[in-house]
Amino acid sequence: MSNPIGTRIADLINTEWMEREMSNIDRRSLVKGSLATMMAGAAFSRAAFAQSSEPILLGVSGPLTGPNAQYGTQWKQGFDLALDEIQAAGGINGRKLAYQFEDSQSDPRQSVAIAQKFVSDPRIVMELGDFSSPASMAASPIYQRGGLVQFGFTNSHPDFTKGGDFMWSTSVSQADEQPLLASYAVKRLGLKKLAVLHLNTDWGRTSRDYFVKAAKEYGAEIAVTEGYIAEERDFRSTLVRVRDANPDGLILISYYSDGALIARQARQVGLKQTMCAASSVYSPKFLELGGEAVENVHLGTRYFPEDPRPEVKKFIAGFKAKYGGQEPDAFNAYSYDAMNMAAAVLKIGGTDRRAIRDAFAKVKDVSSVIFGQATFDVESRRVKGAMNAELVVRKGQFALWDGKPT
Amino acid sequence: MSSWLDYTINGLIVGNVYALVAVGLALIFGVSRLINFAQGSIYLVGAYIGWVAVVQLHTPLPLTIIVVAVAAAVVGLIIERFGLRPLQNSVRIAPLLATIGISFVLDQLVMLTFSPNPRALPSQLPDIRFQVGGGTIGPLDLLIAGVGLTSALLLFVFLRYTKLGWAVRATAQDRDAAMQMGVDVNRVNQAVFGIAAALGGVSGLLVGMYYNQIDTAMSLQATLKGVVAEVVGGAGNVPGAVIGSLLLGLVESYGVAMLGTSYRNLFAFLLLVVVLVLRPNGLFVSARQAPPEPLTGTFIAPSRPVHIPRWALLVAVAGFAILPLFPVSFYVLQTLINAWLLGMLALSLTLVAGTMGQVSLGHAALLAIGAYTSALLSLTLAVPVGLAVIGGGLMSAALGTLLISPSFRLRGHYVSIATLAIGEIVALVILNWESVTRGPIGISGIPPLSLFGYDLIGPTSIYWFSLAVMVVLALLQGRLLTSHLGRSFRAIRDDDIAARAYGLGLNRYKSLAFIFGGFAAGISGGIAAHLYSYINHETFNTQQSILALTVVILGGLGNVVGAILGSVALVGLPEVFRIAAEYRILIYGIVLLLLVRFRPQGLLGTV
Repeated sequence: MSNPIGTRIADLINTEWMEREMSNIDRRSLVKGSLATMMAGAAFSRAAFAQSSEPILLGVSGPLTGPNAQYGTQWKQGFDLALDEIQAAGGINGRKLAYQFEDSQSDPRQSVAIAQKFVSDPRIVMELGDFSSPASMAASPIYQRGGLVQFGFTNSHPDFTKGGDFMWSTSVSQADEQPLLASYAVKRLGLKKLAVLHLNTDWGRTSRDYFVKAAKEYGAEIAVTEGYIAEERDFRSTLVRVRDANPDGLILISYYSDGALIARQARQVGLKQTMCAASSVYSPKFLELGGEAVENVHLGTRYFPEDPRPEVKKFIAGFKAKYGGQEPDAFNAYSYDAMNMAAAVLKIGGTDRRAIRDAFAKVKDVSSVIFGQATFDVESRRVKGAMNAELVVRKGQFALWDGKPT
Repeated sequence: MSSWLDYTINGLIVGNVYALVAVGLALIFGVSRLINFAQGSIYLVGAYIGWVAVVQLHTPLPLTIIVVAVAAAVVGLIIERFGLRPLQNSVRIAPLLATIGISFVLDQLVMLTFSPNPRALPSQLPDIRFQVGGGTIGPLDLLIAGVGLTSALLLFVFLRYTKLGWAVRATAQDRDAAMQMGVDVNRVNQAVFGIAAALGGVSGLLVGMYYNQIDTAMSLQATLKGVVAEVVGGAGNVPGAVIGSLLLGLVESYGVAMLGTSYRNLFAFLLLVVVLVLRPNGLFVSARQAPPEPLTGTFIAPSRPVHIPRWALLVAVAGFAILPLFPVSFYVLQTLINAWLLGMLALSLTLVAGTMGQVSLGHAALLAIGAYTSALLSLTLAVPVGLAVIGGGLMSAALGTLLISPSFRLRGHYVSIATLAIGEIVALVILNWESVTRGPIGISGIPPLSLFGYDLIGPTSIYWFSLAVMVVLALLQGRLLTSHLGRSFRAIRDDDIAARAYGLGLNRYKSLAFIFGGFAAGISGGIAAHLYSYINHETFNTQQSILALTVVILGGLGNVVGAILGSVALVGLPEVFRIAAEYRILIYGIVLLLLVRFRPQGLLGTV
């Protein structure tokens, strides 16, 4: 503290950074403060939109190569479908919406570089992603200081939105989802002694903790919990442990590929207990990879194929038409919703980065596959009240559970 | 008690699966003394060719196996002819790097052709289950066991009783002598690669059917487990590889039984370290056999380093130092920050791998130790960040050296494999030691870098800070290399027997190298933790270790300037290729291969 040279250098550095930042802010911040100026600003930016033929650009940071590449590809499908609909409906106040997808491989080194790239690029008005928590949360300080919204729509890590007021998420909070699953397993299916298998990642671990807490509250006993790494393929020994704990139900806090592997191997080692899985297994791939073994697996999801809600019907029909009859999965739905939410926010916030941040607090009841109507809770910067459907796999298809025991 | 029977059966079943990969690796290692990192990629290619055959062409199983074997063999022959044969007279380390590059290229080609979504690969065998113990096994288990054992047996007979087999073994023992006796060494290599690749392809197919699932991420994991199994059995020993695989499967299964699923790989890698320390040549190699690694320093061949005049270095450093004063984008600065951080890691690795000859494949562990120490010091004990980072460096130096010390008695490839295992062990301890490391949830809210009470949060200040730290470390290391210590390090690398005869205590010097290297890597990890604000067990993974080694080999082993140049190149190239979107890692792999092909001694040469 008493080092004059160090002080001066640090001062110099910080001032220089602030100056550069300030000039950005001055250039961009048109709307701020009272409602009146906001309305005026919105009108102004609307006029500006009409003149510009350049699309409004979103930055996406996510995995297109590397071990998580499959999720990046699923994001793209959901984005593209949403964009088709947004463009067809006249875009954002007459301007087209587009995204620039930068491959991070879900690697924090690359996601921070991408963050800096997006922050420095004045065309980017908002960022979506990244996929994994290490990659997303390493980039958060840069987005926060650079004043660009980081809209993480698969980031369930409880600390993600604590990174700052530019971090917003539509990821279903596990504090919301897991009690629903626990209620399905314990109250509805009547399971009393549970074995929990979970991905040993921040998501799986957080989910497990919420699930165990809720299940105990509902009166179930947790016989054993087993965490496995994402690369694991062989679960036979794990399942012997599960068998020895003598549960009456298996809970899978898994993604679809590992969920399918566990279900198959559970049947191979002779486990016949009821299985109940988290919504992340909701994918046609789960049925394809699991085959007969996933028959009668129960799962809680946010939507289902015959869902009468209009937004779900539109999503499923649109998806099948665009991708040759392919059924959409949970990750497709997340990214589809995220793009629609981004469009809704931009319609209010215009193209100013700070106004966009403020607009997140203002959007109300955005039509959403996951939430029905999505409105942010301004405190947590997350959306509460995910929809819930109780499904079961019957004859190789996801179907609404009819209440009959399996 | 019946559970133990089930654990045993399950261990043997999964060991069976590992054996398929391990046998191929053992064959190649036996002849070329090369850990073929591309074996997992051939396995991947085999699985996808199998998928095309089964799902698109509806071939019956025997035909599927033949199609996959032939196609994979062709891939193997292409790798041997165009990837490895041009390198046979260059540095021993070059083919290793080439196989890493080839695996990038193959994995990416598969990913681009088939999309990264996992696919179902239905088994074509009837779905009959036999009750064994509490569980069941199916015909596929028997087929996998059959293929594993038969191929090991056939290879054993081939190597022992056929003329080409003799040629293969003669080449393995002494390539030059074999050539003088009229053995066509290239044909031998071709045969070996063809057979190993066919086996690798078929194993991909069978394992894919076994799990009814194939995806593009399966290749690295297959290689890792295959390498462990192979080394446990004795590198290059084909029947040993099968037994090593079964042992690995059993140890993992019993590990799960005792402590739970999340400890599984910990047991696998501990087994490897224990075997390497007690029986460095594997369980099934007799002690009398000549060590499979060269006695003297042919592993890292000296070359004439490119001389860079001092003024040019000064100009370069000054140029980078004043760069932020010009209107360059923060993106460029951030990319260079990543390069400087990787540069510190590369300095560390180039010292231990290049100067000292201990090629470490677990260097990310040193990053992780530094990062966790620094993050926890500043968060829980409120140590000022500047001191916490130094604390991270010291902890990494101390703990890293202690952990790696069991590998000091090993040589050549065995050091790499042991350090790979130690790196994995550190990552798994971080995952499981929740009371300290917070497990998979990770550590969030790590305070930003600060110095003398002032936060360094702008990219410019972080840039200057990391550049300055790296330059200081580089200068220290340059000074070290010209001192008597540096000369002793190189003496041990070039001929450890002569060095010992001269009175140099090997372990002491190896420790010194790891202490200095650990410090540099720990500092890099510490800075990264404060830069990212969030770390968990996945932040510093195996890919980081492989990247660091690539940087070091690319720059020239032991070459300080080369390590930094390599870092800038390997951080910069993937960013430059961003324009190519999904194709960028493919292009990166190809560029890497070309560099190895035309500059096997590294850009600036070995020092």
